[in-house]
Amino acid sequence: MGQDIAQEIAGLKRMIAVLDSNVEVLKSTVRAQNEIIERQNSRIAVFEVRQSAVSVPPPVISPKANAGFNPDIGVAGTVQSKITQNKSDTEGNNSIALKEFELTFGQAVDPYSRFDATISFNDHMEEHVVHLEEAYYTRWGLPFGFTGQVGKFRAAIGKQNLLHAHQLPTADYPLVIQNFFGEEGLSSSGLRLKNNIPNPWDLPIEVTGEILRGNHDESFADVSRRPIFNTHIKTFFEPSADTNLELGWTTMFGTVNPPLTIDDGSGTTTEWIRPEGTDWYGVKVYGADATFNWFLPEGKQVTWQNEIYFQNRPELVNSINGQPWGFYSLVEYKLSRRFCPGVRFDYVNPLDVSGRHGTTSVSPYLIFWQSEYADVKLQYSHTVYAGGEKTDNAAYVVVDFLAGNHKHAIQ
Amino acid sequence: MNSQKIFFVFLLTLGLSFQAGGDLWAAKKIKIVATTNVLGDIASQIASDHAEIYSVCSPKRDVHFYAPTPRDVVKVKKADVLVHAGLDLEAWRGPMLDAAGRTDLMWPSGARQIDVSQNVPLLEVPTSLSRDQGDIHVYGNPHYWPDPENGKIIARNIADGLSRLYPEDAAAFEKNYTAFASKLDESMKTWLKILEPYKGRNVVSYHKSLIYFTKRFGLLDDGELEPKPGIPPTAKHLAELENIMRRDNVRIILKEIFYENRTPEKVAKDTGASVVTFAQAIGDVEEAKDYISMIDYDARAVAEGFKRAADKP
Repeated sequence: MGQDIAQEIAGLKRMIAVLDSNVEVLKSTVRAQNEIIERQNSRIAVFEVRQSAVSVPPPVISPKANAGFNPDIGVAGTVQSKITQNKSDTEGNNSIALKEFELTFGQAVDPYSRFDATISFNDHMEEHVVHLEEAYYTRWGLPFGFTGQVGKFRAAIGKQNLLHAHQLPTADYPLVIQNFFGEEGLSSSGLRLKNNIPNPWDLPIEVTGEILRGNHDESFADVSRRPIFNTHIKTFFEPSADTNLELGWTTMFGTVNPPLTIDDGSGTTTEWIRPEGTDWYGVKVYGADATFNWFLPEGKQVTWQNEIYFQNRPELVNSINGQPWGFYSLVEYKLSRRFCPGVRFDYVNPLDVSGRHGTTSVSPYLIFWQSEYADVKLQYSHTVYAGGEKTDNAAYVVVDFLAGNHKHAIQ
Repeated sequence: MNSQKIFFVFLLTLGLSFQAGGDLWAAKKIKIVATTNVLGDIASQIASDHAEIYSVCSPKRDVHFYAPTPRDVVKVKKADVLVHAGLDLEAWRGPMLDAAGRTDLMWPSGARQIDVSQNVPLLEVPTSLSRDQGDIHVYGNPHYWPDPENGKIIARNIADGLSRLYPEDAAAFEKNYTAFASKLDESMKTWLKILEPYKGRNVVSYHKSLIYFTKRFGLLDDGELEPKPGIPPTAKHLAELENIMRRDNVRIILKEIFYENRTPEKVAKDTGASVVTFAQAIGDVEEAKDYISMIDYDARAVAEGFKRAADKP
């Protein structure tokens, strides 16, 4: 009996041993399976990361996706307050006005081209005005690497004529630009071709040629008689790692009005007679521009910008000055991300004043950037008008704000 | 001949010179333009002597606000390949490409551009877009290159992009990638060791541009001197930040070289922290001669900053 029990116990022990070994085998199988699962999980995790990264950019809200094929839209507002000593009761003196509210659009048209447009609303002068400031179509990749633009655009005259009001460092355009090309500068319909002149030294020599509609009555005809031809050529140097210098030259040819018959109201008429041929591109404008930048530590920057223009106009129809000229010189020091003081000196021997008299003006200013998208400009201008009989002291406060997509061409 | 005729003859001569000038550019090497010199350096590691590299944004300048020059436009116009950071880091990239007129380099569809942000696991992808949040980035934080692991992804993208465009040199690009990745892996061990003692420590930065670096090395971001991205520091925000820094015992303030010193130094003085200049571009500091030495400088500078702060009373 006792022997049977002992044998049974021994049998059970053997069975337990077998079961133990089976459990061990199963355990090692489970461990191996777990390792495989872990490896698979790791691979899945890697694939998931890659998968999510492959779809970069993966914004939860994609403005592009929402916008579909609609153009990018942006706005830029400029509100200007002005106090002046000028006693004349003129719109714009001692005023606060929305000088400009720009609505900008831009989008690729097809793989070769895009369009850009700026529609400007203003409450500045007598009327509420909607003004098509720019609307042009750009075609890249023309033969020999030319870029072509057609439509209405700001003419490539020097540096500041290309800028919109909110891009200006000052409250207004330099006097020479105002006098020669209008208060807001020259923007005109036309055709523009642009390219760089190849050279073995990689020296940037950019040439812009423009054929502009001729209806610009500051320096040229006030009716669209013949187009204005404009070219701007510029080059660029880097004297050191922290400085650069850009030099440009502008040449314009344009036409003034056809012969005029003036009736003084008493029945007497006077006809302006010019020498034969002098109304055929009789207005020539030449200009030079130079901009020097000096980049200092901590994001500081000094900029010195100058433009000078000279006109040769045998015609004295819409001016009485045969050789008006003028220039400005502007120096500014961006001393932090918030503040940039500067000063602009203007001289212009204007279209409507003959002789050696010129208007001079000194305009110190301060720009305060609240952020990249909003700034305030303070400016004081002391102006002595041509002839020295009148002086004016004016103070400006300008508020600029931007929103939406806003893209400016490289100047 | 009057001046108008001279002028038009000049224009005609100029036009003809463009055709003649085309032959001057018979290229032997691949002309790569990189938007930043970090990307330029990594591209040079991958392309080696197969390419000549031109980097657009200069060191010591804020990459967000760089203004491309006429020289940059000329270089882009002649480039065979454009390497860029993608996303919306370089707001000036679009106008620069418009000026150069090279549709094949334009993002996102240009065949000859390499967007190195592909496959980078992005941080801070916004869930809503409004400028009341400051100058936020539409696709996520684009300052990803200070993380060396992302450096490898950048290199991978450049190698793949160049191999796609120049399959005959693909083997060389792959070999160079492997060598570069190995060097990075090796250096990574050193950097992890250098920063290991400071894992879990809080840091403050000037702009929210260092989060990829801090995340990689286990540092914790406790705030920025800017109240919101791109908005200059305000007195109210700095007062709040100083309280947070005291509460969390933040000992270092990281700033890039192009930000002003006055504000971080004042905050450091008020809180007993130490200011560390963080290099984001090659040449930002003397030690940052290439990508790997730049990260090496940053890792050591952060560690030194902690040590310096520990010595302060």
